[in-house]
Amino acid sequence: MRESVLKLEDLNFKYPDGTHALKEINMEFKRGEFIALLGSNGAGKSTLLHHLNGIIRPSSGRVLFEGKPVDYSRKGIIALRQAVGMVFQDPDNQLFSASVYQDVSFGAVNLRLPEDEVRRRVEIALERTGIAHLRHKPTHALSFGQKKRAAIAGVLVMEPQVLALDEPTAGLDPKGVTEIMQLLKETQRELGLTVIISTHDIDIVPLHCNRVFVMAEGRNILEGTPQEVFSQSQILRSANLRLPRIGHLMEILKEKDGFAIDDIPMTIAGARKALKKL
Amino acid sequence: MTNTDTYAYASRLRSIEPMQKFIFALLTLAICLWANHVIVSVLVIIIMGGCAVWYGGTPLSFYLKLLLIPLAFLLIGTLTIVINISSDSSIFIWSIPIGNTWLGVTQVGLYKGVKLFLRVLGSVACLYFLSLTTPMVDILSVLQRLKLPQLLVEMMSLIYRFIFVLLDTANTIVIAQDSRLGYRNLATGFRSLGSMAANLFIRAYKRSNAIYISLEARGYDGELQVVKESYKSSRCLSVATIGVNLFLIILTLILNRRI
Repeated sequence: MRESVLKLEDLNFKYPDGTHALKEINMEFKRGEFIALLGSNGAGKSTLLHHLNGIIRPSSGRVLFEGKPVDYSRKGIIALRQAVGMVFQDPDNQLFSASVYQDVSFGAVNLRLPEDEVRRRVEIALERTGIAHLRHKPTHALSFGQKKRAAIAGVLVMEPQVLALDEPTAGLDPKGVTEIMQLLKETQRELGLTVIISTHDIDIVPLHCNRVFVMAEGRNILEGTPQEVFSQSQILRSANLRLPRIGHLMEILKEKDGFAIDDIPMTIAGARKALKKL
Repeated sequence: MTNTDTYAYASRLRSIEPMQKFIFALLTLAICLWANHVIVSVLVIIIMGGCAVWYGGTPLSFYLKLLLIPLAFLLIGTLTIVINISSDSSIFIWSIPIGNTWLGVTQVGLYKGVKLFLRVLGSVACLYFLSLTTPMVDILSVLQRLKLPQLLVEMMSLIYRFIFVLLDTANTIVIAQDSRLGYRNLATGFRSLGSMAANLFIRAYKRSNAIYISLEARGYDGELQVVKESYKSSRCLSVATIGVNLFLIILTLILNRRI
């Protein structure tokens, strides 16, 4: 039974302008899971993520880290941000230094680590994200995909337990999407991290994630394994989402063309297996 | 537009300790200004230009184009020294009469003008050496070590980092406006430019908020502290710094006393 690493209890959040962004959210993220937060634009995914490392405090309800309520004092926030690393959607908002090497070191330096340790961690992070050859480049000379990797490296140096990424695949070309997801999967496996990604790129979810939460209009409307969630196609469509393309095809083949398919597969591999059985 | 910084990253002298390059450039600059002598200025231009182009690897064509930048300003400035007005026509080597006075070039004025022109060009060559071999990040680390206020250094660093984002965003907005005929004539153009500037300001403000949140997420506590990069120390440069400047000092003293 996996232990709970982050939990949101009866969480509500209203923006200063009155927008009720999160309504009665109850979610639990367990250690070692690869979690997808699905939702259309404006569903509240980013707002929810910002609660996880203390950037935003809930209007009501609470956030629990490792079973204990988040300590919003200065010390508590520092500890939380070391444990929950956040990578934002636009890497240009995250890379503040003109030097890649120095930007990656920022998080580790802020943890008041000795210089040798900082340098060691930076090297490891650069290797892991595959940008070691770019360490002396200016950040403005990097491509979008390279900037995203640099942003991830800058968070990995802090050796977090949870890695939260806001739309990690947004703006990447197909190869870039595959590479980033592979990078995240490998990093999770090697470091035992809990990974939370917010996305509306449906097709990558069944390939990499083992738990899915679906949000719509600030509410958590569905949760479960990818198989469980994607079997609820009505609910998904009402939330302005869709099934993975493969899943949609298989659904049509099953319901409209009478193909003898049991559980609708969501991936190419699963579809191939199901079709070969016919 | 390729700027000096791109060449600085590509320079062969890039990985030398920036403090050494800084001292070399500024010491020679000081000597050039102090000497105020035509020969010394020319030597400084050649030495500094040579270091940047032959040792550093900056293309000569680019370097010459860079020298053209201060030229316009320089020429206007020296022109006012070279050209004089006087009622005594005998002092001129070339002149035209205007009413009761004469407007022209005197020998003294010409000599002063050329001296000033070369002195400024020499100083510019020293600074170009620095900017063509040392990326901005390294220059800022030198300033920090020289105990320039941390706030100032951080601001310079952020401005440098985000000026590219600013220019890029401005460019994108202008292209989009142009595609909708926003610059079809002068009046429309000014209006479009104005709304672009306002939009840019708002975007910059929003981005700065987002950056602040990002920094907070990585433990920002008020100072942008990062780890220092490591450089090679060049003995050759240290020798050159002392050697060149001693030579120029002695040369100046000789030329001035006419020994």
